[in-house]
Amino acid sequence: MRHAIACLLCLGLVWIGTSTAVAEEIFISIVKSVEGGATITRGDTTHAVTSGMEVKRADIIRTDRNGHVGLVFSDDTRISIGPGTELTIDSYLFEPLENNLSFVLRLVRGTVSYLSGQIAKLAPEAVQLVLPAATIGVRGTHVLIKVD
Amino acid sequence: MKKSILIACCLAAMAFNMACGKKSMVMLAPDPDGSVGRITVANEAGSVDIDQANLATVIRSPEAAPRAPEPLDPAKVEALFGQVVANQPLPPLHFRLHFESDSVRLLPDSRRQLTEIVEAIEARSPTRVSVVGHTDTMGDKVYNVQLSLRRAITVRQLLIDRGIDAAFIDVVSHGQENPLVKTPDNVANAQNRRVEVVIR
Repeated sequence: MRHAIACLLCLGLVWIGTSTAVAEEIFISIVKSVEGGATITRGDTTHAVTSGMEVKRADIIRTDRNGHVGLVFSDDTRISIGPGTELTIDSYLFEPLENNLSFVLRLVRGTVSYLSGQIAKLAPEAVQLVLPAATIGVRGTHVLIKVD
Repeated sequence: MKKSILIACCLAAMAFNMACGKKSMVMLAPDPDGSVGRITVANEAGSVDIDQANLATVIRSPEAAPRAPEPLDPAKVEALFGQVVANQPLPPLHFRLHFESDSVRLLPDSRRQLTEIVEAIEARSPTRVSVVGHTDTMGDKVYNVQLSLRRAITVRQLLIDRGIDAAFIDVVSHGQENPLVKTPDNVANAQNRRVEVVIR
């Protein structure tokens, strides 16, 4: 019995030691709104975007000519995606305690309104919005982008 | 001869446009609170800084430096960006709950705030909630990571008891590493003994 308790304690310590986040997979972003046609491509599969679904690193989001998607990230970043858009979350890390901070968003085409969150506040150099012909560095906060 | 040069030039221009014709426009907008941030737009050919609201730069190709920023006509801003700005998600809500010393017991004011938090979570649906536990710097660091985890788990359970779906709540423990008020080690601080609830 004592042995079992010791084991449990050990497991508990390992569990806390390896990750401060208890969730199985760390939450990155949630779809707060969707209108018109929008898809999300994850690996080899493509699904329709639905309200409340999670968005993960390396996901590709595409909207059709009537599509709109609103995203909120774990660091409070807010992104509104307009029609005819393709974008990818190339990198996202929000671990302020470990100082692991990164946000790289790639906009291939379309329209985006971007409002930066805590990553840009804590480590502005860690935020990049990559366009086909240039890269935007963000020290805050509200950026409007259109790529033809 | 002149004609063929002209045609060759046209073809070259078309090819160039196809390869690099992705014209981009980037504008710095005022923040919702009225303040103005700063951005840098750069490529191999050059870079521009923008630190005034409603100035925009145009980038025509990776080989051409971003153009000098110019004010964008408000009617054009509305035409290009009106809809995406209108569709911007609301800012996440942040609540702070406070605890008795070395305890997972909420202070009475914080306990009363739970109703407001539950209402906010329901009003924000679909949502995702983070419950982030913190301690002050009294006691051992490792102990404090566990204490702040117990605090966060307690708040999570209180939300579940009030009807919130457990699947939407993430629990995070920051121990004493992320204080609201910076203090030396081994200092009791009521402000730092907290759980932050973020509702998106």
